[in-house]
Amino acid sequence: MPNPLKRSLLIPALLSFLGAHQPPAVKPGQAESIPVTSAIADDPALAATIAPYAAKIKASFGQPLVKAPQGLFRGRRGEENLLGYWVADTMREAARQAIDAPVRFAITNSGGLRANLRPGQLKVEDIYELMPFENELVVVELTGAEVIQVVREGLLRRGGEPCSGVRVKVEGTPAKALLTITWADGSPIDPAEVVKVATTDYLYGGGDAIPTLRKGRKPFTTGLTLRQILLDRCAALGRAGRDLLPPAPGRYQVPAELQEALREKKLNLQEPGVRP
Amino acid sequence: MKRRDFLAALGATAAAAGLPLKAAPAEAPSGRITLLHTNDTHSHIEPFGPGNGSLSGRGGVARRATLVKRLRAEVGASLLLDAGDVFQGTPYFNEYKGRLDYRLMRMVGYDAGTLGNHDFDNGVDLLVQAMESMERMDHPNPPFPFVNCNFDFAGAPELGKRVRPYLVRDFPGIRVGITGVGVAFAGLVAPKNHEGVGWRNPFESLKPVVKHLREVEKADLVVVLSHLGYQMLDGEFDDLRLPAHVPGVDAIIGGHSHTFLDTPTRVPQALGETLIFQVGFGGVNLGRMDFAMVRGQAKAASGSSMPVEG
Repeated sequence: MPNPLKRSLLIPALLSFLGAHQPPAVKPGQAESIPVTSAIADDPALAATIAPYAAKIKASFGQPLVKAPQGLFRGRRGEENLLGYWVADTMREAARQAIDAPVRFAITNSGGLRANLRPGQLKVEDIYELMPFENELVVVELTGAEVIQVVREGLLRRGGEPCSGVRVKVEGTPAKALLTITWADGSPIDPAEVVKVATTDYLYGGGDAIPTLRKGRKPFTTGLTLRQILLDRCAALGRAGRDLLPPAPGRYQVPAELQEALREKKLNLQEPGVRP
Repeated sequence: MKRRDFLAALGATAAAAGLPLKAAPAEAPSGRITLLHTNDTHSHIEPFGPGNGSLSGRGGVARRATLVKRLRAEVGASLLLDAGDVFQGTPYFNEYKGRLDYRLMRMVGYDAGTLGNHDFDNGVDLLVQAMESMERMDHPNPPFPFVNCNFDFAGAPELGKRVRPYLVRDFPGIRVGITGVGVAFAGLVAPKNHEGVGWRNPFESLKPVVKHLREVEKADLVVVLSHLGYQMLDGEFDDLRLPAHVPGVDAIIGGHSHTFLDTPTRVPQALGETLIFQVGFGGVNLGRMDFAMVRGQAKAASGSSMPVEG
């Protein structure tokens, strides 16, 4: 293909001699992604506008909360999400306090956890980075059978969403995998039992493809954002002089081969057993 | 020819001919336009801090302003456009609710933007408030408009009057039509946060708008600001599939999938070709696409490294 832009170099140049217009020299056309790096100076007007906002952000977000010597990490899809377990545990406990009744199960979405907590001193901004959304803690009622179905949907569609209150085991082969879900203490889940479940308004509203959560009955909107309960939990630990440590692994037990099949959506999951 | 040589040659000839000579090239060359663009800036007002891998130290809206100013001085006719998801991602959004993001965009000199799913994260009212804050600020740059043709704003009039189905901008020798499309709310935006705003098939919504821009508005170049995503295997609509369904689009400035492309992807379509570009996220890159009128048609700058798809 001839380069049309080279041709267009000559024409305006010629025209400029004939008419009053004087165009700048035309560089060849470009299409590129230009990196914005430190080699480019700040625009002074923008920098001056941003400075006071940045100072206010730094003042509030630089406040120390708690030490997390090991950090808390999400892991890859299908692997254990210890950060997610901690968030789900914190949700379950906050929901229990909000309704002043036992909350048997909590689930959130790993896609909503936007950053790992790196080892060291955690600051307010770390929790904002982890949970930038204004998602609200919601408590609903589900049957035991629905809890199992929620876990199953999260497993198949998202490789296992962070939960609190249950233990999940996948065994067998990718072609014939068996799912077993019990309560955290190993006791069986009664499919007919009605239990309180903590989740987010986002998931309850149908976000992230866990449709069974939408069946939740008697929704109680706590008015607490997830971020606020995480901030409160960290601050309480910090005040007590305790460290933030990751929960124990073992909540999702999925062999590596089956994790791989889950990631590739090639896992044939048999009907879940309710007993270990 | 290098610019300096060209001016020297011109100066000598002008002096010899006794013609008046302007001191500086004030006008853009005719029939050329440079599209500058961002997507998914996600409230990354400051550069990425350490610990962000290859993104560490990159981005920052004050640097972007410098880069835009420099490029605009160089290229003449240009448009600065954004493909949505300006909101959500740093404490700046939590603290200032998007007002600061939009105000800074006006200062940088954006010509138009569109709406991504995260721009609804605080609901319609706070989105409108952020737009109002940008409109009301005292600044020499005009407020920038928003474009989208597949949202139904019947139940959200305050937002509806701030989002146009398309707009047209004239430059010497080239007329540019700009429209936008947004991703479905289902599963991405809580119902209460897009209350009053409906979603329609983006390809079907685009068809009459592109036709109108081409045939009635006589646009030479049609640009779509798309928040559909580059390639969405789980869904029905994405930028790569758009040209086959909606011919007549010259450029798609994409977002949503945070796709890092080095150069635009060129996709042939019934009326020519569509260039699809997207430059990652967080403002770490600025996209640039040049077009020039050749025999009455807008043609993309040819870049040998541009991959061809389809």
